[in-house]
Amino acid sequence: MTGNRTVKVASAVSTASSVDYSIDMVAVSKKFKRATIKKAGYTTIKSAILGLFIGGEKKQIAYTQAINNFTARIPKGASLGIIGKNGSGKSTLLKLITGIYRANSGTITVNGRISALIELGAGFHPDFTGRENLYLGGIMHGLKREEIDSRFNEIVQFAELENVIDDPVRTYSSGMYMRLGFSLAIHTDPDILIIDEVLAVGDAGFVNKCKEKIEELRKAGKTLLLVSHDLGAVERWCDEVIWLHNGTEMDRGNPRRVIDKYRQWIEKKEERDLISEEDLGLKEDIALEEKQISARWGSREIEITSTRMKDKDGNEHALFHTGDPVTIEIDYKVNEVVAEIAFGIGINRADGLVVHGTNTDIERIIIPPLDKMGTASYQIESIDLVAGSYLLDVAVHRRDGYPYDYHQGVLKFLVRSEFAQAGVFAPQHSWSFSVSSKGSELGSESARRQAQS
Amino acid sequence: MNHMARQLIQFKSLIWALVTRHLAMRYRGSLLGFLWSFLNPLCLMLVYSLVFRYYARMPGISNYTVFLFTGLLPWLWISSALSEATSSIASSGHLITKSMFPAHILPLVPVITNFINYLLSLPLLFIFMWIDEIPFHSTLLFLPVLLAVQFLTLQGLGLLLGSLNVYFRDIQHILGNLLTFLFFLCPILYTPANVPDQFRFSIDLNPLAQFTISYHALILDGVFPSLYSIAVMLGFMALSLIAGYMVFDRHSESFAELL
Repeated sequence: MTGNRTVKVASAVSTASSVDYSIDMVAVSKKFKRATIKKAGYTTIKSAILGLFIGGEKKQIAYTQAINNFTARIPKGASLGIIGKNGSGKSTLLKLITGIYRANSGTITVNGRISALIELGAGFHPDFTGRENLYLGGIMHGLKREEIDSRFNEIVQFAELENVIDDPVRTYSSGMYMRLGFSLAIHTDPDILIIDEVLAVGDAGFVNKCKEKIEELRKAGKTLLLVSHDLGAVERWCDEVIWLHNGTEMDRGNPRRVIDKYRQWIEKKEERDLISEEDLGLKEDIALEEKQISARWGSREIEITSTRMKDKDGNEHALFHTGDPVTIEIDYKVNEVVAEIAFGIGINRADGLVVHGTNTDIERIIIPPLDKMGTASYQIESIDLVAGSYLLDVAVHRRDGYPYDYHQGVLKFLVRSEFAQAGVFAPQHSWSFSVSSKGSELGSESARRQAQS
Repeated sequence: MNHMARQLIQFKSLIWALVTRHLAMRYRGSLLGFLWSFLNPLCLMLVYSLVFRYYARMPGISNYTVFLFTGLLPWLWISSALSEATSSIASSGHLITKSMFPAHILPLVPVITNFINYLLSLPLLFIFMWIDEIPFHSTLLFLPVLLAVQFLTLQGLGLLLGSLNVYFRDIQHILGNLLTFLFFLCPILYTPANVPDQFRFSIDLNPLAQFTISYHALILDGVFPSLYSIAVMLGFMALSLIAGYMVFDRHSESFAELL
């Protein structure tokens, strides 16, 4: 795609200022017919002809709004990251910019030549050799044969494919595919480089090389558009980030800020999903293992009315980070006054391993006389568990163990950690190293790293 | 349409690259390689000659083998080009959905490759003509015009069928049967004189049959096709091109969503 391109001019806005922008999108919307999304929904001649005569089944055409009223201006030389969960419209947006899709409304103005890596090996013919594909691809990128001739060796060298360039690309590994595609894309003098997730398959060495090349292109004033789930890469390479959700912009701005916000939102969402999953489990109680996990028995002289897990600010959560303070609250109701009461807590890993179990009797805690209703709290200063999902048991029983109300698996909670540690226990810890040899007069240098925040 | 014609010129090296690849791929891995371009029509010709020259004798045709070959070669071009063009867009989803690929050149590629195949098999026809001592008429000089008309007709039809096939995958299956049907309705194995009067319409109203008749006229009889034939062929060519480009123009935007 050479030169300037304006897609679907609803209201032309090619003022002089828009030349400073490489991509200018105003109120862009794209919706897909449900039938066109669903692969099985091919119309057949039969149904089309029947439709003509019978007037169709008058089926309601459902639309999916992939991009909704999206406006963004990308200045020349900027590098923009687009993040968002699967199905948020990231790829659709790129396909709109490259002209593979056409918007239903709005204006997209593109100044300059786009080189797009939409998908792994996009546009490569599997039966053609690497050499033939480079020529075909180069021509599609708007290069002349002689131009490809002159930079052919450079492209192949960058891709590190000298030995296999005359083999059919179907014999290539996904990494080789990516290297060929990437190398071609950056050697076609693009003004705008669009990369959709493809760097994920590269090995560290090549990714570093790409990074240098991208840096080089950025210094040369080229525009970069990067879509990735690798938030680290987005943060490193982009000077602005757009967070896309259901086809609309949730936030835009400084990478660190937007990415942090996005991360928090993802965690919140996971937590919500977990809680609703738990509700479902209790309500339906279908699966046998669910029954075993969550069970309740006892004579109910004292009854547990509800159980909560809270963070240090008193907000209810089902997701904690390793080292977070956690408070477990047990609401109870006294149905019949009894003596010798003990409250118990148990934490089990999802696979049934007992992680922790205690009660007030074991710890010789004196329980004050209970009111008719009240709350027992169990405070954990720091939840030193490795990442995983855990189940909470709570119980009120007689000191000899006779159960008043024993509630197994009352809550399910997740622990997340920055580090993928093994086992169950994640103690607060630090590492240090001292040099004991005579060689160094610097004394002992210790590298300390707090593993938990 | 103008815009697309300009694109065709812009992408001529891409088209050429695809055509050479297509030709090379066709016989890749086969021992006889390119010889198959000659062997395939030759085998067909041998079978049909055997049946219609010796078993069920077709009356009133001298030099049956050459007669058959004259009509069979352009037909092979038509049938291969159309069946390959029909599936060309639908089977290139990887190009259309993931890169900025000019879809309208896809149906053109098989039209060109099969045209080249036709040109390569022409010497074979001339050799048979020489063996059978059939004179080389000056009307042969107008063969390129006929080829050009057929080329443009196929381009239009290919674009039409290729575009529709994205929506109705049935077309590629229907076409296979339709082509067999049409093969026997074109005067390739017989002459129009062999057709009973009440069925003459199947020749007169069949634009593809007019092509066959015109090849016979230019190559074997040394006369120009009738004005009627010329009118039908040119009309059909215009219709195919207009229909092909109109349908493509209207629907190509949603190809990427459908594939």
